[in-house]
Amino acid sequence: MTTLIIGFLIGCAFGAILYLGGATSYRRILGTLLLKDMWIIKLMATAIGVGTLGVYLLDLGNLAHMSVKPAYIWGIALGGAIFGVGWAVSGYCPGTCVVGTSEGKRDALFTFAGGFVGALLFSMAYPYFESLIAAANFGSITLKDVTGINGIYFAVPMSAALLAIAFFGLKDRYN
Amino acid sequence: MTQDYIISWKVAGIALGLLLTLATALVKPLGVSTQFVVTDAAVAHKVAPEFAESTPYLAKYGEKEDWGVGYGWMLVLGMLVGGGITAAIFRDKQPEQDKGSMPRMWRDQFGPSQLKRNAAAFTGGVLLLFGARLAGGCTSGHMISGISQLALGSFVFGIVTFAVAIMTAKMLYRAR
Repeated sequence: MTTLIIGFLIGCAFGAILYLGGATSYRRILGTLLLKDMWIIKLMATAIGVGTLGVYLLDLGNLAHMSVKPAYIWGIALGGAIFGVGWAVSGYCPGTCVVGTSEGKRDALFTFAGGFVGALLFSMAYPYFESLIAAANFGSITLKDVTGINGIYFAVPMSAALLAIAFFGLKDRYN
Repeated sequence: MTQDYIISWKVAGIALGLLLTLATALVKPLGVSTQFVVTDAAVAHKVAPEFAESTPYLAKYGEKEDWGVGYGWMLVLGMLVGGGITAAIFRDKQPEQDKGSMPRMWRDQFGPSQLKRNAAAFTGGVLLLFGARLAGGCTSGHMISGISQLALGSFVFGIVTFAVAIMTAKMLYRAR
């Protein structure tokens, strides 16, 4: 029960941050994908920069509840490609279409609805993809597992690099 | 120039990174796309139990008695509630061009038809969740949570997704 309440509260904060940070904004999403308005990529790089450091600091104290997704290269690449087309066409991703719906955007509601259809279609098509998912599947591995080096040694430089890119590297380019 | 945002990407990015850290400390990282299947599975078990049981992927995510509603599902419900409440409070502060269901950029390129915009949004949604379920995650689960955990597969997802999304956006918005 506590877990459910924590999930709900974290979700509330997640939704609030995405709304306040402009992540449901079509001009921001497409602006980033057209490499003109870097808002979204800067937001994401900052989040990952802080998150990587946070997660691996927790990991140092054995306090991180990690959930690493299996690395089945071909299935992820094909899924990511289909996802990428959907992202550019709708201007939303699964999380931001939820928040866009909550703020009353009708196009977000259509993406939300389409999402249930897409998930259902994949459920039905799943048997055809099983072999693709089984191929080149390295399991739930991280850079730490691959190299045998403690994750914090990757996390600190990567975090610094991402924050530097977000704060100093990326510039908006309007014609 | 008037401020064209509510909170800056810096504040939002740092807050999101801290929220991810908190979630990882308390339960597990953030994720959204799985819950579309969990919901589909719950509904399918209710309205078409035979279909649900004979579809392995749906059977995996829910049962007749146990709908599989857990932390992740409550998180997405929270996004709807938290996003909605925040939007209601900050409506006046939201930049004019971010309001409504017809983005100006879209209208300039594809015309004023709301039907066309909705059709694209729906089609995009189908592709998003088909792709996310095949890949095993989406922007939150793979990119933000996954890369933060230095997960190998999530780096692949991030690179491919961005590359294809950028190419698609460039094609959609090529000059005509």
